[in-house]
Amino acid sequence: MKKKLLSVLMCATMVSALVAGCGSKAPAESTTDQSKTDTTTETTDKTDTATTDTASGDMSIYIVSKGFQHQYWQAVLKGAEEAAKELGVTIDFKGPDTESDIAQQVQMLNNALNNKPAAIGLAALDTEACLEGITKAQQAGIPIIGFDSGVPGAPEGAIAANAATDNYAAGELAADETYKIIKEKIDSATSTVRIGVMNQDATSESITSRGSGFIDKMKSLIEADGKTVSIEGHDKWTNKVDGANVIIDVAVPAQVTAELSSIDAQNLLNKADTICIYGSNQHSGEGLITGDANLNKLGTSVVGVAFDSGELIKSAVKSGKLAGAVTQDPVAIGRNVVELAVKAAKGESVSNVDTGCKWYTADNMEDADIAPNLYD
Amino acid sequence: MSAKTTEKKQNAFLNNPIVKAVGTQRLIALLALIIIYIVFGAISPSFRQYSTLVSIFDASYYIGFMAIGVTFAITTGGIDLSIGTVLVCSSLVTGALATKYNVPIALCLIICILIGAIFGLLNGLMVSYMGLPPFIATLGSMMLSKGFGSIFTKAQSVTWPQATEAAGWFRNIFKINIVGANGMSTPIPTGFILLLIVAILMATLLNKSRPGRYIVALGSNIEATRLSGVNVAKWQTLAYIISGTMAGIAGIAYAAVYSTLLPGGGAGFELDAIAGVVIGGTSMSGGYGTIAGTLIGVFIMSVLKTGLPFIGLQTHYQQVATGLVLIFAVFMDVANRKKRN
Amino acid sequence: MGDVILTMKNIDKSFVGVHALKGVSLEVKKGEVHALMGENGAGKSTLMKVLTGIYSKDSGTIVYEGKEVEFTNPKEAQDAGIAIVHQELNMMNHLTVAQNIFIGREMMNGKLINDKKMNEEASKLFQRLNIDIDPDSVMGDLTVGRQQMCEIAKAISRDVKVIVFDEPTAALTESEIAELFKIIRDLRKKGLGIVYISHRMDEIKVITDRVTVMRDGEYVGTLITEQCSKDDIINMMVGRTIYEDPKEKSSVPENAPVVLKVENLNAGKMVQNISFELRRGEILGFSGLMGAGRTETARALFGADKKESGDIYVNGKKIEINSPQDAVNAGIGYLSEDRKRYGIVLAQSVAQNSTMSSLQNFMKGIFIDKKKEKKVSQEYVEKLKTKTPNVETAVINLSGGNQQKVVIAKWLIKDCDILIFDEPTRGIDVGAKSEIYHLMNELAAQGKSIIMISSELTEVLRMSDRIIVMCEGRKTGELSIEEASQERIMHAATLRN
Repeated sequence: MKKKLLSVLMCATMVSALVAGCGSKAPAESTTDQSKTDTTTETTDKTDTATTDTASGDMSIYIVSKGFQHQYWQAVLKGAEEAAKELGVTIDFKGPDTESDIAQQVQMLNNALNNKPAAIGLAALDTEACLEGITKAQQAGIPIIGFDSGVPGAPEGAIAANAATDNYAAGELAADETYKIIKEKIDSATSTVRIGVMNQDATSESITSRGSGFIDKMKSLIEADGKTVSIEGHDKWTNKVDGANVIIDVAVPAQVTAELSSIDAQNLLNKADTICIYGSNQHSGEGLITGDANLNKLGTSVVGVAFDSGELIKSAVKSGKLAGAVTQDPVAIGRNVVELAVKAAKGESVSNVDTGCKWYTADNMEDADIAPNLYD
Repeated sequence: MSAKTTEKKQNAFLNNPIVKAVGTQRLIALLALIIIYIVFGAISPSFRQYSTLVSIFDASYYIGFMAIGVTFAITTGGIDLSIGTVLVCSSLVTGALATKYNVPIALCLIICILIGAIFGLLNGLMVSYMGLPPFIATLGSMMLSKGFGSIFTKAQSVTWPQATEAAGWFRNIFKINIVGANGMSTPIPTGFILLLIVAILMATLLNKSRPGRYIVALGSNIEATRLSGVNVAKWQTLAYIISGTMAGIAGIAYAAVYSTLLPGGGAGFELDAIAGVVIGGTSMSGGYGTIAGTLIGVFIMSVLKTGLPFIGLQTHYQQVATGLVLIFAVFMDVANRKKRN
Repeated sequence: MGDVILTMKNIDKSFVGVHALKGVSLEVKKGEVHALMGENGAGKSTLMKVLTGIYSKDSGTIVYEGKEVEFTNPKEAQDAGIAIVHQELNMMNHLTVAQNIFIGREMMNGKLINDKKMNEEASKLFQRLNIDIDPDSVMGDLTVGRQQMCEIAKAISRDVKVIVFDEPTAALTESEIAELFKIIRDLRKKGLGIVYISHRMDEIKVITDRVTVMRDGEYVGTLITEQCSKDDIINMMVGRTIYEDPKEKSSVPENAPVVLKVENLNAGKMVQNISFELRRGEILGFSGLMGAGRTETARALFGADKKESGDIYVNGKKIEINSPQDAVNAGIGYLSEDRKRYGIVLAQSVAQNSTMSSLQNFMKGIFIDKKKEKKVSQEYVEKLKTKTPNVETAVINLSGGNQQKVVIAKWLIKDCDILIFDEPTRGIDVGAKSEIYHLMNELAAQGKSIIMISSELTEVLRMSDRIIVMCEGRKTGELSIEEASQERIMHAATLRN
């Protein structure tokens, strides 16, 4: 028994040594390559950008994202890589396994700090958890650039700048566009109607802002037309009004898994008074489409609105199942975080960049200013 | 003689033909299932709809296949914690093969099941030949499969081909949409037939075949079974292979219903399955397993999963409710067993 | 003997449908060792459980130290000074001796446990018992005998007045038994009332003052040990005379062929260079003290444990045995000393246990032919006179002797010609014992060959045609039944290096 256990342990050690060996080799090589090319550019291109290159050539930037589960992040990575290439800096782009792995992300941030990079890009899953790392970075003089949903609630001055979609504004945009479609239904309704809002969680800043932006804007639009609104479904947003004309019904699943979001969607679709459902990110949008598979109400009796893209959402918009969706500009987010980081590392002053968002429907999704932002 | 008479007295209830056919624990579980369904239906009208029933079936497939498989591992006196992540791993990898590498779907489905079987084999070897405790061995492969799926897909989500695409034909195994004269399509939960067939096959394997007999025996007393000249290592390994294989099938079921697989996910799925197995009356200490019970337990889990949002419970209350049902169901079993002794 | 300390009178106890105790009485005096005897199921344990508060009685009275008492839980009985040393030891193997003794009433040093003080107190206890055990050693490292001493120390660590020994010698070696008896006599001298439950007649005669016999939950009678013979007690227990004399000569024919030959079997310290032959129709006794390596030899032979070297020939042909599977295929069956752990699958039925080793013969395609399985196991239930409601009853509901018969049936159905009986009558009551003896003789007469490992000398002398004696992993004697005697066996069994 003991022998067997020992041999297993030895195997494990050997395997991990091998893996570690492989893992550490690759980046080491690439950095030497990088420095080689940098030196060559330095010598040839002395004239105009010599100083910048020397400075940025040694520059490494760590980017800690929220993971790669959704294709959205691939687009961010793409933008970041493009910018890094143009500016001649090295980037190390990391992300936890899932968007619930807060501890893992904190670990990544700490690792990044240990490597003493010129700057760090951070899309925090949970600001509180990252606080210690942020403070350390401040002490070490490493600037942090927030991106995607940024680092909401971080201490004053800790974050040099954010490259992010203004998620609240994006939510408002969704509400504006949706209201145009459902206004008539609400006006002509003789009894209460329901608007469903699907949020992936009630903790992350980007999700909750998009939810809140949509809910607040929708409420004010409806109230401006002289109707009353009651918000129900989740404690975070609840604002119950008895006998309201419109109910905004918020659903949040227990876990970020496809089957739970799908069940939430079915529940909303099944309510007879539902006229519209909004999914506030790619995951919720997909849950909405999957949940409709048994009911086939989207595009007929219920208006569906989603966020971001991905194969499912794109094809649903195209086929008219979804009336439309809001897309961010993930490539621009990626580009901006690197650009801001380089600037901040050089000590230049930086300020927040809103990377913007757009409403797309089956009609405009092929347009030149939209298509590049829609990923599979 | 005296033992005989006591048995007779106690069996007055147990000898009822209906009770006998179903078994007390399973009867309790079945009653609980019916009660939960009726209560949910009474609270929420939309819960009573046909489409909701289809959703309940939808949720029962992947939990069901996992649960049927893990019943074998639990019957040996072990546990398989890896099924949830193996489900996601096998489905992620083959989904990627189908969409990114254009591997034919039929082949993908076979590979999906194979990946599950391989993880099962790994678990079985670790438990039976290397002597690792099942909890640790399968915890290890849980992490392995989680990581492997993420590595293969570069940590990106995978969306299996849609029903509207040609490659989406496999979804018909689990659900066929019949378009009526008015253009409205009605989903038929064909997956239930498959689940039922697999359950019957596996129940036959467990109750009527040699491997099943040995799996039950070694779960009850592995040493005595070994000393009877039975190759216990082989049959123990088989139990884990079945568990893994069924997780692979569950991977197909999940993809067919929910389309999108998230890398790093799946941890937690196994708990739904194990809860179903336990509610169904399979003994966690091994030596007794019931596929029929497992199936009932699975439907309790899927009714809860689907139904709790319908009765207007918020997320956090849903979890509390599920926990309470699980504890109550198992407590009923324990109390019942104590009474019988 | 002094005054009466404990009187149990007309105790009645029923469980659902079972009348377990029917007006049983027991009287224990100070400074007395009182034997409580009866076949398994006679109600001894139930009576003791009523005494120690595990069960509550339905009617009857218990007078303890002159006052009527009723204990509702074991702790009350303990606090009053009634302790029980169980047959199955209730020890936590990973804790130390002292931690075990004081479990539940640890000595404290403020909020922390004072292990030092407990070790000291445990040492004092052992001194009182005149035994040498390090209180700081880990319980699991001690022999069963020593663990039992600890159990006794635990019992007397409270202010105990009555102590119950439930089959204390079942797992002890001769020397340990001697040590135990010394302790019991010592306790007797100190004026404790001692209840002694055992199946071993010899011990009863040696250690007890009076004997109370129970049968089928009823009180049969109380005798003064000195004034009665073994047969008197046995007759009271079973109501019939039982033959207990040694075998006079081998019943194996001169020309019987050798069916099993073992040469230089080695497996660790407990099995060193063991060689022997077994002939057709022979019962070969393996005698020796606990820990002599007999069971280890059998397990190595059977492939249950790994062997280092050694050749095994069955019917003159050399065979490789690396697993129980190989042994079973060679026609060897093993009946373990610890049935519940190694012999049967308690939760499964008589039929399922009976066919465990030969299931391949009960197949109909891929399905098990349950009809045939039932039919064949029913045949063997009748052949072996196994008492069971039916073959679908789980073996957990059978008595020890009948469980043993199910294991025998398993090997007979597999058609094994060589059977290893390891302590075949341990924990089996007198009546069932003689049935097992009868069965073994019958099997031998039918041409089966039997290796019988036994710690009871009377059993070895009664059953064997030839006797092999082991000591500390070596074969130290081989005696024909004609030349064997208790003395000669004990001599060989203590031939240490």
